[in-house]
Amino acid sequence: MKPNILYNSVPAVGLLAMLAAEGAKAIYAASVRTIEGKAACFSMRRKKAGVAICLGLAWLSLAQVSQAAVDQRAQENVDRVSRLLVSQSSIATVDMQITKVDWQRTISMQLWTLRDTNVLVRIRQPQEDAGTAILKVGAKAWIYLPKANRTVTMPASMMTTSWMGSHFTLDDLVSQSRLSDNYAIATSFAGQRDGVAVFEYTLTPKSSAAVVWGKIVMEVRESDLMPVWQRYYDEDGKPVRELSFSEYKTINRRLIPTRLVMRPLDQAAEQSTITYESIAFDTPIGAEMFSLSKLKQ
Amino acid sequence: MAGVLLLAKIGWRNLWRSPRGTLVTAAALGLGLTLLLTSLGLLDGSHDQVVGNGVRFGTGHVVIQAQGYQDTGSQELLLPAGVVSATEAFLRTENGVARGVSPRLLASGLLSSAANAIGVGVMGVIPKEERAVSLIPERIVEGTYLDDDQRPGVVIGVELARKLAVKIGGRVVLMTQAVQPPGTETANAGEGEMQSSLLRVSGIFRTGVQGIDANIIQVPLAEAQTLLGVPGRITQIAVLLEQEGDAPMVAQGLQTRLTGVPVEILTWREAMPALAQLMLLDEAFNYVMNGVVLAMVGLGILNTILMRVLARRYEFGLFSALGLRPAQLAVMVVGESLALTAISLALGLVLGLTVQHYFATSGLDLRWFFESSLPDALVFDPIIYSRLSAARIASSVGIVLLMATLISFYPALKAARTKLPDALKVF
Amino acid sequence: MSGGLLRLVWRNLWRNPRRTMIAMTAIGLGYAMLLFVACLMAGLRQQMIESGTGLLLSEIEVHAPDYYPDRPLQRTLGGRDGTDVDALVAAITADPRVQAASPRVYGGGLVSATHQSAGVQILGVVPDVEQTITVLQTRMVKGSYLNGGMPKGIIMGDKLATMIGVEVGSEIVLLTPAADGSTGNDLYTVAGTFHTGLDAMDRTLVVMPLASLQELLRLPPGRIHEIGIKLHDIDEASATVVAFEVQLSETFPVRVRPWQELAPELADYVQFNHRVTFILFFIFFLSAAMGIVSTLLMAIIERTRELGLLMSLGMRPGQVVGLIVAESACLAAVSLVLGGALGAPLLWYLQVHGLNLGGEGDDSVSLGGIVVGPLWYGRPDWAAYTQAAVGLAVTALASALFPALRAARFRPAEALRKV
Repeated sequence: MKPNILYNSVPAVGLLAMLAAEGAKAIYAASVRTIEGKAACFSMRRKKAGVAICLGLAWLSLAQVSQAAVDQRAQENVDRVSRLLVSQSSIATVDMQITKVDWQRTISMQLWTLRDTNVLVRIRQPQEDAGTAILKVGAKAWIYLPKANRTVTMPASMMTTSWMGSHFTLDDLVSQSRLSDNYAIATSFAGQRDGVAVFEYTLTPKSSAAVVWGKIVMEVRESDLMPVWQRYYDEDGKPVRELSFSEYKTINRRLIPTRLVMRPLDQAAEQSTITYESIAFDTPIGAEMFSLSKLKQ
Repeated sequence: MAGVLLLAKIGWRNLWRSPRGTLVTAAALGLGLTLLLTSLGLLDGSHDQVVGNGVRFGTGHVVIQAQGYQDTGSQELLLPAGVVSATEAFLRTENGVARGVSPRLLASGLLSSAANAIGVGVMGVIPKEERAVSLIPERIVEGTYLDDDQRPGVVIGVELARKLAVKIGGRVVLMTQAVQPPGTETANAGEGEMQSSLLRVSGIFRTGVQGIDANIIQVPLAEAQTLLGVPGRITQIAVLLEQEGDAPMVAQGLQTRLTGVPVEILTWREAMPALAQLMLLDEAFNYVMNGVVLAMVGLGILNTILMRVLARRYEFGLFSALGLRPAQLAVMVVGESLALTAISLALGLVLGLTVQHYFATSGLDLRWFFESSLPDALVFDPIIYSRLSAARIASSVGIVLLMATLISFYPALKAARTKLPDALKVF
Repeated sequence: MSGGLLRLVWRNLWRNPRRTMIAMTAIGLGYAMLLFVACLMAGLRQQMIESGTGLLLSEIEVHAPDYYPDRPLQRTLGGRDGTDVDALVAAITADPRVQAASPRVYGGGLVSATHQSAGVQILGVVPDVEQTITVLQTRMVKGSYLNGGMPKGIIMGDKLATMIGVEVGSEIVLLTPAADGSTGNDLYTVAGTFHTGLDAMDRTLVVMPLASLQELLRLPPGRIHEIGIKLHDIDEASATVVAFEVQLSETFPVRVRPWQELAPELADYVQFNHRVTFILFFIFFLSAAMGIVSTLLMAIIERTRELGLLMSLGMRPGQVVGLIVAESACLAAVSLVLGGALGAPLLWYLQVHGLNLGGEGDDSVSLGGIVVGPLWYGRPDWAAYTQAAVGLAVTALASALFPALRAARFRPAEALRKV
């Protein structure tokens, strides 16, 4: 009989996956960097580009110059989008509503983030889970369970898959990496859709980028460069999930979408929605905020 | 008194008086030895195969690990540097005893695809060495195994491929946490982030063992070492031997060679106790089988020899009448038997070794007997290869010789008791 | 075959009683040994299977159609589709082949002590019922098996306990995704630890009362994941599965699986073992053929005059062949009877008292997923007995052909002259 061999290399990893896939509570880390400075810079550049283009028309072919400019702009726009909700530090109040085939849940929580390494989440609603807190520092994570009045260690990898049982992953919400680091960006459409002027960008992974997607397509409003949706495809070109943005509000002088909806494209009935009740960027948060003792409060 | 030599000559000529009869008897006896050799070879071979398969799915016949690894499985426990070279040096001195030596780095990680993310056990291996030790390289059903030049790639099991919905060449991202071997700075606990790396599925394997097909992935060792931040380090060395029986000796030798180094050296019986239990069972089973085969062969010999002798009443009567005394008659019969046995053994040995050799190289395909219900992913090879050690051959020959001789005492006694003039009666 | 010929055959056999007796004894003993081995091996296979399925698996498992092997929490028996689990269990237990049936619930998550956590598979059982189909309760090393008195008591593998640093009496937290999407968590006490010898179980398994696990998973009482079944006779497994799939599917949507599907490695080994036994049959037939041919040849040579006489009296060559073959058949038949008679007490002893191979891991009886103690019990294997008998009969007939044909070629005149 072939007993379960390879004990050495198969601890309960497979079971961790079950937990991860189903959703352990995870820590949400979102660093947000101020884009105000960038916005100012950008409009300046725009003006400059405009001037340059006019002049360039005189002795350079229109297509060449504008193409380069468009590509440069595309990259900037895309990077901008991926930084909208990310900063050095942030404090946010968030509602998350998850709809799955077998259950539905709404969670209300508070989030503290510092860069993208430290995350603290405290759950306020539903009542039975109130007080539950999750802390992630680097590659380690802990969860405080009020009912049992215990703090439990967790492997951080658990949060990199489904975050809190939703369709979002921790990366979706926290990652500081710029999309342009991992993807080559091309403008695939510029014009009107449903009466709104938009840009559509197609992102293809760079050769050794550690990403699972075959490509990402995103639509961005031309007027305020707000993202409208992002669609993730696998390598065979099959769309796997779609993230939609809406309810754009100016909070602390920053225009952001406050409603994010993630839909898996193979399960029609399922989706997860994150709504930002409030968010503050770059208020100073001390490192001691992210300590075990803070978990219990 | 006719000397023993004379008796021997008479005995020999007796044999050849009816050559056909003698040859038939010799053939029958020889066949007995052939059967014995064949069945021993097949049983021994199948036993070794079961062990071999078992250890090849695991840690080989002998495994060297950092002390404490067997109990905790903690991926921080790495082998100290220099163990690999010491091991190889030792094995070089014992020529031909090892079939393969595979250094491996083991860790856990998360493998993601566009469809799913699953926790996996990561094995960093040197493809060329791993091929000589593990069965995974032989069970590739799609694509190819890892490159010998260790180009980046990953092989995963069928179950894992199914859950991740990936094909050959598909993108997967492996996320692991950098390993901090004991002794290195761990001041900022958890500061290290997870490392991600893109891999392309180069091959998919099916072993038939659920735990392996759904959980294990293999990547080139260098890749794993980089990912885990432990260049030049490994978790274990798995050694596969030519003969299972050498395991204790090799373990002992390595222990001596590596005294003072904090390692644990385990034979497969210690590293895989469940397999060891199974093998005890198998050994007991073989024990019983061998006994039965021996008994059957013995019965066949009994039958044959007695048949031959009982028909010679008249002949013995004649000898007796001519003056041979009972004792001499007995000696003559025994001598004949011995001579006959010798011929038979020679025949049997030749035939037996030939048949055994055939089975040793081409194997006995059990599917011949059972076309029915053989699952595709058989953990066990349906082909049994025979393995016969010199010791087995010697003992088989010895036993048959002994049995034949003992059995021939009965007719010898009967011959000695030949009563004249009854024996001379023709009818 | 006419009565006269039969009488002739019989008399011919006994004309040289010693020779015939020897041949019969040899073949008879061989057959008896074959019976012995077949019986022993059948018993061994039975023990192996029972042992392999007796710890956690069972001989047959019943699940909801899309439950196995991925085990999604939501695919339960009962609940969603209105299946009445109690009725299902009752329907199963009512079948005469079933010895017992036990409901189970599975979860997966983390177990956590003060400083360490580990990933685990959590099994919820009804202790009294579960003990009728599995034997985990015999593998406890510390503490005690689950009993009704401790609803918040759990048991775990000994290696797991070492890994997270707990002992009997320690408090632990279990964390698992619940059916409503939340994270179920609660405090429990370690009531005992077990050692199965199977690394996977000792490192990752936690067992607790079914009702407690349902509570933790936020599963209502009417929903379970699995029904484990133990049969009176394990050979009935495949047949019972087929019967159940037909019968139960009319009222409850289920999928029924035998242990062969649940533990294919075990099934492989058992099959393998079975086949190797057949090599033995082959050897027996060969030795029997050996014996028969030599016996008959000797007999022919001895009876040259007699056969010459018969042929000169009018017996045709074909009839001579028939005669010899009939003698061989008769010899085989009597040998079989003799062998059966010799073997019967052996078989009885094997089945009732067993064979004690003491020294084969006697103090390690509790090690390994397959535990076959030093005592081996036999089991009747009528299929094997019959196959051996038939094979022997065929061998006898075939081996008789060569001597018979030789005899048929005697020339009466020469034969009569032989001394």
